[in-house]
Amino acid sequence: MRPASFEYHKAVDIEDAVRLLAEFGEEGRPIAGGQSLVPMMNLRLARPGHLVDINALPMTDIEFDDRTMRIGALVRHEEYGRDPRIGKHFPALLDAVHWIGHPTIRRHGSIGGSLSHADPTAELPAAAILYDASMVVRSLGGERRIAAVDFFESAYVTTLEPGELLVAVEFPIPPRSSAGSFMEIGERVGDFAIASVGAHLEFEQATITRAALVCCGADLVAIRAPEIEAFLVGKTLDAPQAVEVGRRFAAMVDPSGDHIASADYKRALIGELTRRAVEAACARAIESK
Amino acid sequence: MTRAENPRHIGARVLRFEDVRLLSGAARYLDDITRPNMLHMSMVRAQVAHATILGIDSSALADAGFPTQVFTADDLGSLSIKAHQDYPQMQYSEQPILASGKMRFVGEPVAAVLADDPYKAEDASELVFVDYDPLPVVGTMDQARDASLPTLFDGWKSNVIVEREMKGGDLDKARAEAAHIIRRTYSTQRQAGVPMEGRGVVAEYNPADRVLTVWSSTQFPHIVRTCLSEVLNWPESRLRVIAPDVGGGFGVKGQVYPEEILVPWLAVKTGRPVKWVEDRREHLMASIHARDHRHVLEAYVSAEGRLLGLKADVTVDNGAYSTYPFTSAGEPGMVGKVLPGPYDFQAYHAVYRAVATNKCSIGTYRGVARPSAVFSQERLMDDIAEELGLDPIEFRLKNIIREFPYKNVLGFSYDKGSYAESLEKMRELLAADRTEAEASKVSTTRRVGVGIACFIEQTAHGTPDFIRRRVPIETGYIAARVEMEPDGQAIVDLGMQNHGQGLETTMAQVAADALGIDPKDVFVRHGDTLMTPYSVGTWGSRGAALGGGAVHTAATQLADKLRAIAAHLLQAKAEDIVLGGGKASLKADAGRFVEIRKLARIALRNADQMPEGMTPGLEASFSQDGPADGTYSNAVHAAVVEIDVPTGKMKLRRFVVVEDCGVVLNPMIADGQVRGGVVQGIGSAMLEHFVYDAECQPLTTSFADYLMPQAPEIPNIEVHHIVTPTSLTPLGAKGMGEGGAIGPAAAIANAVADALDVQVTSTPLNGNAVWRLSAALRGE
Amino acid sequence: MTDITLEVNGTEKSLAVEPRRLLADVLRHEFGLSGVHIGCAHGACGCCTVHIDGVPKLSCLTFAVQCEGKAIATVESVGGPNAEHALQQAFKSEHGLQCGYCTPGFVMALIPFVEAMTSQRRMPEDDEIREAMSGNICRCTGYHGIVAAVRKAIGDQIAGGSNRS
Repeated sequence: MRPASFEYHKAVDIEDAVRLLAEFGEEGRPIAGGQSLVPMMNLRLARPGHLVDINALPMTDIEFDDRTMRIGALVRHEEYGRDPRIGKHFPALLDAVHWIGHPTIRRHGSIGGSLSHADPTAELPAAAILYDASMVVRSLGGERRIAAVDFFESAYVTTLEPGELLVAVEFPIPPRSSAGSFMEIGERVGDFAIASVGAHLEFEQATITRAALVCCGADLVAIRAPEIEAFLVGKTLDAPQAVEVGRRFAAMVDPSGDHIASADYKRALIGELTRRAVEAACARAIESK
Repeated sequence: MTRAENPRHIGARVLRFEDVRLLSGAARYLDDITRPNMLHMSMVRAQVAHATILGIDSSALADAGFPTQVFTADDLGSLSIKAHQDYPQMQYSEQPILASGKMRFVGEPVAAVLADDPYKAEDASELVFVDYDPLPVVGTMDQARDASLPTLFDGWKSNVIVEREMKGGDLDKARAEAAHIIRRTYSTQRQAGVPMEGRGVVAEYNPADRVLTVWSSTQFPHIVRTCLSEVLNWPESRLRVIAPDVGGGFGVKGQVYPEEILVPWLAVKTGRPVKWVEDRREHLMASIHARDHRHVLEAYVSAEGRLLGLKADVTVDNGAYSTYPFTSAGEPGMVGKVLPGPYDFQAYHAVYRAVATNKCSIGTYRGVARPSAVFSQERLMDDIAEELGLDPIEFRLKNIIREFPYKNVLGFSYDKGSYAESLEKMRELLAADRTEAEASKVSTTRRVGVGIACFIEQTAHGTPDFIRRRVPIETGYIAARVEMEPDGQAIVDLGMQNHGQGLETTMAQVAADALGIDPKDVFVRHGDTLMTPYSVGTWGSRGAALGGGAVHTAATQLADKLRAIAAHLLQAKAEDIVLGGGKASLKADAGRFVEIRKLARIALRNADQMPEGMTPGLEASFSQDGPADGTYSNAVHAAVVEIDVPTGKMKLRRFVVVEDCGVVLNPMIADGQVRGGVVQGIGSAMLEHFVYDAECQPLTTSFADYLMPQAPEIPNIEVHHIVTPTSLTPLGAKGMGEGGAIGPAAAIANAVADALDVQVTSTPLNGNAVWRLSAALRGE
Repeated sequence: MTDITLEVNGTEKSLAVEPRRLLADVLRHEFGLSGVHIGCAHGACGCCTVHIDGVPKLSCLTFAVQCEGKAIATVESVGGPNAEHALQQAFKSEHGLQCGYCTPGFVMALIPFVEAMTSQRRMPEDDEIREAMSGNICRCTGYHGIVAAVRKAIGDQIAGGSNRS
């Protein structure tokens, strides 16, 4: 359980990194915290010919303007996880961070690394999809943005092209009053989720005006539920019909069983976690008013 | 046999002497052993569960320019480990050191690759290709009894390795008299033992003295030496096996594995030291597994709630090979032997069998079959109580053994214990939890449950027990040699191996009490066959009982000599001399004394001052065998669980142990053994499951898939002691290393059954299982 | 091979390493630091935890080449040959170890937690202590003695001023 040989390159800036990644194509992999990539390399499930170390790159800021929160790809989970502004605008993201791994993992793992790794049960891809985040991607050809929902293609597969580097993720700041929650069930603390559900609600007075729901555990990527989100619109915060919302989400998904959890269990968890996430979001909304 | 007179150190909370090196980083584990000019071995392992080997092609290595050597079964000849039991009902098999002709489980060693660096050895092993013809896979207990599938070994009549029975009393009469017949099928899942340090072997041959030295991360260096001698046909006198610091064993390192033969063979073959360090994937796939059981039980109970008889049919999914030295019959045989448990009944009949499948072999893991047996026994007790409408603790008290010594239905003799007192003590400790559990019954979303497990554990069994079993281990004794140096410092050379049990401290406490010196002046050495007397090693809960007995007896012999010298110097009788505080003094007049170090100097350096006729030297040895039927520890475990019904998420709120292991040598260490065992048992109950798919491909070969308890899942473990000394061992100690792991599966399952008002018949009770069990509460 | 310079336990050393060499292996074999233990080599047990620039990190998920110019501390540097750090002493007095294989990883993972609590003069709840050690697996102790050791180390240091650290 030691990695196969590779060449190591320490990128000095973003230009350097994308130049190296372009040069190596399929053989090149960026490495940040290494908390997901290196286990795969030690197990020889990943064997990149070239590792491009991006830890020195200036992608470590959390920036806010009126409309957007931009988190640099290298910001570590522990760091953004304690930024109070995230709790204000993106409570489901803040909840999600606390479900990631263990203290040492959170200290070194980065938001960009987790998103690029695209584990189907990971929290951050789900949160990105929930909040309609955009991936800011650089290559020799310049910069482009990929909507989260288009970024995650399958388990461990993104639409990043060879030579592209995720440099930041942008979360649009909800224009109205909002609240959210993220709930997860795993076998142990820090384990990959069996199922997780995120809820984001925007409201005026006591009425939900927009809703977003996301779940992990049902498919190879986290999925949204547009019809159920529409069902939530117009409901009141004190009576969101959360049980019915959960029932509908559970009925919509088609998970596969594995050796830890059966398909019917995952479906039931998605229903129950949906109910709890919606209720928790509503409770937070009421509390914030 | 004499108890320690006036113990000062036995029973004290002495802090461990071994801790400083373990805490500072100075400990030396197997991977810390390096030898000059050493080669590193990497294994090529079977990637399919059942296949005929057509050829092994390593030509890619030469093409890639690897300066490596590859070895296969063809190079080894017929080297194999033979773990056979002399039963007519047992089918014979051997485990080849490298797969020969067939591959029988995923992970089986097929070829060995040597390189001068472990990274390069791993690179090279990827370039060895095994050509094979797949065979139908025998994947389950039921498939193992399907005559249409091939047998794992040529010449076998079926895949039932062994099937035997044990019986006592008149079961037909019990059945005829029974007012209630309760029949249940219980099962426990396959698990791995997972010490935090995996296995590993280093070997070096010295042609100058023809000594082959083998370092192995093992619990029993002498047994490894004997097996190695037999397989390699090499004199034991020129084999030295060293177990350095060992990072946990739990029984997993109490088998002899192919690598322990292969690495020394390669060192001789190549003339260079060779090292192999197991990686975690190899450990999970190919070190032993345990606990893969199915038990069909039928209990016969009188109208008054008295147990009249028990019928059992026990099947163990053994995997591919019979492991050395406890064999395939060890695991199911243990179930047959221990199912009668702490209850008084007079009719019993058990049929037990091990079946061969294309999985990793079953071996001894902490508790050895008893976690599964007690799971079934104690689930059954709760199920009977439920059927009869009795309180589960009352029902147990009605049937518990109270008179000692007790001859059980199979003829085993139980020495004195505290079975009823333990149950009564536990009933007191649980009163509030049981009230809360009852009150939670009104809820359909959140339930609290309390479950107990009451059991006995045969420990420190002696040679007669192994003769009865006819296993290659053959014997069960522990030996110690105690010496004193001219400066009065003592050395204990112990035939056990210390891998977390604190033997460097407890054995020093025992020796110090006998010799009248401070424990810190006793150096306990172990783990090296060159300096320690032959013993079976550290397993089977025998450290305190037999290791302590051996050290006590040897040290007492030495003390007698010290007293005789002191008597001579003080012009007194030896029986009037007491040893203590570094002095030999008169019982009647503590002011008249000689320092023990002076006595040591006389015995070793100034022999002219010894009593006339006494020979110089200060050394004594003793081999302590166990009692024929062992000595029986007893315990009650209790779990309090809280279940979130909609998700099946279960929180273990409280875990309580009341246990009786006789005299405790060091309460801190004893509690640590209990707690560590309990948490492994909690893993068995709730999390740990080694899973194969239908083709016997393993699915849980990393720590991301094989889930062990982490700190947040675990409550503080409460431990209460009752002390009933045994007269069967010199110090009154019974065994206690395994007991912690035996009760939790049963206690937690009973708590789940209590919380949800359901029958629980299998483990693990993970989220999915608890969710399924609570379906009725959700109205499904 | 890549030339790197590391400061390990206060001593600077230059060496040439293959990029794929794990920091754990380099510390063990090039620096002779046998207190760095490898329990799983896939980042799931915590045995190999060391400090890099003062922060706990898994040395099995770190390549030595990534540590150019960084200061690395292993358990050997924490309390010397007599294991005199307050947390090490508490592991001993509270029976927080048995076989010792996971122990250096626990010590290295928990030292910053103990220091943070001590400086805040706050005794954490057991749940918080257990969460702080959730990335480390111990198979021997059942965690009970480790939790007690953390409490004791914090308590002793709050009460009596700090032991050396």
